[in-house]
Amino acid sequence: MPSLRIIPEKQVYETIIDAIGKIYCQSTPETITLINNALAIEEDDVAKDMLNAMLKNEELAAKEKLPICQDTGIVVVFADIGNQIKIENGPLYAIVSKAVNDAWRKYYLRDSITFEPIRCFSNHIQNPENSQQSVILHLSELPGNKLELHISLKGGGAENCSLLKMFNPTTSLREIEDFIVDTVVSSGGKPCPPVLVGVGIGGNFERCAILAKRALMVPISPSEKKPEYKKMEERLLTQINQKGKGIQGFGGKTTALKVSILSEPCHIASLPVAINIDCHAHRCISITI
Amino acid sequence: MRIIKIELPLKSEEIKMFTIRDKLLISGVLYTARDQAHLRLNQLIKEGKPLPFNLADSALFYCGPAPTPPGKVCGAIGPTTSARMDKYTPLLLENGLKVMIGKGERSKEVTNAIRKHRAIYLICVGGISALLSQTVVSCETFCWKELGAEAIYRMEVKDFPGYVAII
Repeated sequence: MPSLRIIPEKQVYETIIDAIGKIYCQSTPETITLINNALAIEEDDVAKDMLNAMLKNEELAAKEKLPICQDTGIVVVFADIGNQIKIENGPLYAIVSKAVNDAWRKYYLRDSITFEPIRCFSNHIQNPENSQQSVILHLSELPGNKLELHISLKGGGAENCSLLKMFNPTTSLREIEDFIVDTVVSSGGKPCPPVLVGVGIGGNFERCAILAKRALMVPISPSEKKPEYKKMEERLLTQINQKGKGIQGFGGKTTALKVSILSEPCHIASLPVAINIDCHAHRCISITI
Repeated sequence: MRIIKIELPLKSEEIKMFTIRDKLLISGVLYTARDQAHLRLNQLIKEGKPLPFNLADSALFYCGPAPTPPGKVCGAIGPTTSARMDKYTPLLLENGLKVMIGKGERSKEVTNAIRKHRAIYLICVGGISALLSQTVVSCETFCWKELGAEAIYRMEVKDFPGYVAII
């Protein structure tokens, strides 16, 4: 058996703080390119004005180190852990959690977490001095001696427009595509379009939601994707944008910048489909340690 | 797209002059209010108690600001989804509210109430918070500090951009 590679706690901690420092003040380079492309084809004057504001904001936020969006979200981390590594001390959740809390103070990010979801159950008064962030950590094991961290700051408005449905296995492709298009289009301006759309198909109830989130956050090389799904992504993007909801739901050629699908095997009785939406302030990064 | 500079508070006669999709550059005082503040404002009205500010002179901005970094006037600011405030909005309109700023569509009931009370709903672009923060002249917690980002903040703005969505 090969010896385990030890990854120091400090390295993981500092990597996460630096990663959050990079993404809170800038969307992914791909998103900025897609916003530029949307502007190039736009004809509506209000939509153009809004897209220009988004691009100006990206520049200013990066320069001034201000959040691109005041909702710096809930932190979602996919940690793909090589089976030949050991993270010193740990557990990983404790390291990630401490890094996120310290990053929140360091960069002046907004406390958007309530520890009691049903607010009337708690008299807890939020004290900004010692408030805590919550982290959604998805762990998976991979062969090898690397630790891959995919980190996102996920805003609440777009998350609220997400949906999951358990279809019958004989449902037509057309019905599934209509469901995805309708979910995005009926959200209107609520998720701050232009949006990015993550779709999870298959797995089971909880797995397809995780796939939808992962599809939004984790880059996949086109060669890894089945051509049927690549074509489906293109069709969905075209259909969503043809509906003309547009920038901030105020009209225009672009409602979605990108659709990404991840699929997995599922039970013969099921066809789970989940849609997770992210706004144009798409704050994600992938890091390998 | 018309671009019109306006000063708050707005009167119904001024609101009549605008059309949908006009871009307004707003100067004056905004009060932030999100879900929890709306719940409290509604409770106060129902109990016949005084509100912390005069609704008729005020513009509500559906926003929870980010903390103010050292050396800045305020942190990142931007709209949250207005539809979550729909349930509480007609009562505020009945009590004089004239201007609301947020993002996304409103319910039929809110749309009708806005028209009935000759009020105005503006949308501002979500996710351009660094840019919007540049329009803030001053920002302070006004009341309900214990709500953190959901407290009511008093924000003085100059040329804050909003687009007319419902009048």
